[in-house]
Amino acid sequence: MTAELIGAWVVVFLTLSIFSYLFDDNPFYKAAEHLFIGVSAGYWAVISFWQQIQPNLFGRLWPDLESLAGEKTLLQSIWYGIYEVLNFVTTGFGLLDRSVFPEGGIEGYDEIRFIYIIPFILGIFMLLRLVPKVGWLARWAIAYIVGMTAGLRFYSFLNSDILSQIKASAVNFSSDWGTMINGLIVFIGTLTGLIYFFFSKEHKGSFGTLSKIGIYFLMIKFGASFGFAVMGRISLLIGRINALKDYSAAEYNYATPIILGIIIITLIIWSLKGNRNQSELTG
Amino acid sequence: MNLIKNIFIQLGSLDRRVIFLIVGLSVLVPLVKPEWVSLPVRPKPHSQIVFDELNKLEQGDRVLLSFEYGPSTMPEIHPMSIAMLNHLFSKDVKIYATALWADGNFMSTDAFSEIAPLYKKEYGIDYVNLGYKPGNEAVVKGIASDIRALYTVDLKGNPINEIPMMKEVHNIEDFDFLFSLSAGFPGSKEWVQYATDPKNIPMSTGCTSIQVTDIVPYVENGQIRGILAGMPGAAEYEKLVETELAGKKHEIQPGEATRMMAAQSIAHVVIVLFIIFGNITYFLTRKSQRKGN
Repeated sequence: MTAELIGAWVVVFLTLSIFSYLFDDNPFYKAAEHLFIGVSAGYWAVISFWQQIQPNLFGRLWPDLESLAGEKTLLQSIWYGIYEVLNFVTTGFGLLDRSVFPEGGIEGYDEIRFIYIIPFILGIFMLLRLVPKVGWLARWAIAYIVGMTAGLRFYSFLNSDILSQIKASAVNFSSDWGTMINGLIVFIGTLTGLIYFFFSKEHKGSFGTLSKIGIYFLMIKFGASFGFAVMGRISLLIGRINALKDYSAAEYNYATPIILGIIIITLIIWSLKGNRNQSELTG
Repeated sequence: MNLIKNIFIQLGSLDRRVIFLIVGLSVLVPLVKPEWVSLPVRPKPHSQIVFDELNKLEQGDRVLLSFEYGPSTMPEIHPMSIAMLNHLFSKDVKIYATALWADGNFMSTDAFSEIAPLYKKEYGIDYVNLGYKPGNEAVVKGIASDIRALYTVDLKGNPINEIPMMKEVHNIEDFDFLFSLSAGFPGSKEWVQYATDPKNIPMSTGCTSIQVTDIVPYVENGQIRGILAGMPGAAEYEKLVETELAGKKHEIQPGEATRMMAAQSIAHVVIVLFIIFGNITYFLTRKSQRKGN
């Protein structure tokens, strides 16, 4: 219960700190914002390492020796010697317990896959960006990522977003009236929308009229997007206010009213002291 | 008439913090006093399609449930997860959870720990949580081609090969259905592009409101079967599951999204009114300025 109670107070404090921005930019908001960025970055880095790099990269390069078939060769002995060196370094020269490189290799795979040395080296190149003299090596890794992503996305985008959508915008004249009218609207909207983005011809005469119709379709789309965006933001607000309401109960020692009171009083004092104006000026 | 005009013009110079306060109150009051505002939830066709597709699944069928959201979008998506687990567990469908977002691990763990014990479902036999893998679309592609190349252990650290329900699962083609609980990138779009379209696997999605206009073309085209659109979509699905399970062994109460929909509706009315007032004020101010000139 104590952990839950502390958690509730932290949740309320951080939520109200973020909400305090509605009054003005202030130290509560800044503290919560910095904490959020720091925790997010740290969490993402740790998860990425333990869920991907350790099991999928190191695990393929140095699998558990017991799962390898046959006797250990000279090359394997040298290879696992490097593994021990890495372990020595990552354990603070033997001062800490083994964690990243467990005894005898990493469980999960049954053969050494040397091809994974390439992504390992590219990953190191990426980190070399921090060293100005050899920072250019990071471009090789970035070039690989850009090339691979472009290639990977090209086919799937062409298939799912272009070809399938062209097919979907065709009017089915054998269907019922409702579907046919709906199909016609989609067809006209697609065509006129594309005409609006065609800049090689001046938007005049009938071409200009079609382009104008395209603008109306685009406006309807933007309106729908805006409506959904508002709905989404309100949902998030409801979620937060619901949490604040729950934490205002006696079982959480009235976390919401107490913290709200403290924040309001502090902000009034802070505002009266003139910090608010200074903050606006220094922004 | 002039008095009304002046009131509208004065409204134009209203401090924005007053507007924030009114919107806040419009959300708070229905949450604190739900009995004051009771609005019915009627499922729309897209939510009905999602329900029907999931309801078609039979005992022992495999569903891949992808958690692509975090605490920030929890109010919209988490009620869908809870309703979905109730629905699928009640049908004895096997659930395989994965996450394209790091925060998804918290969300899936929370949802399973709440619902699985109610149906006495056993980890590794009835459901498994593979957890998060960084890599965005590369992860989707990996699941589509070879899960074991990507996952050696599950979220709890159990080797994949030792999990009973993973024995016959190698790639996306071994699943009967895919459901993406999505709050952005990577999410539903990537599942369509890299997994379900190329491998022809049926999928549905439950997404945040802000994504709806981007996802709807896939839904209209049949690439995605139905969509749960934001909190209203979650409430509609909750209602459908509640009706389905009514009178059965595992009867459920109205869910979180249904409880919060009154606040959503009232807040929308307030915002619409502000937009109308704002426009009237704008036109009146412009007119009076022109006259002055």
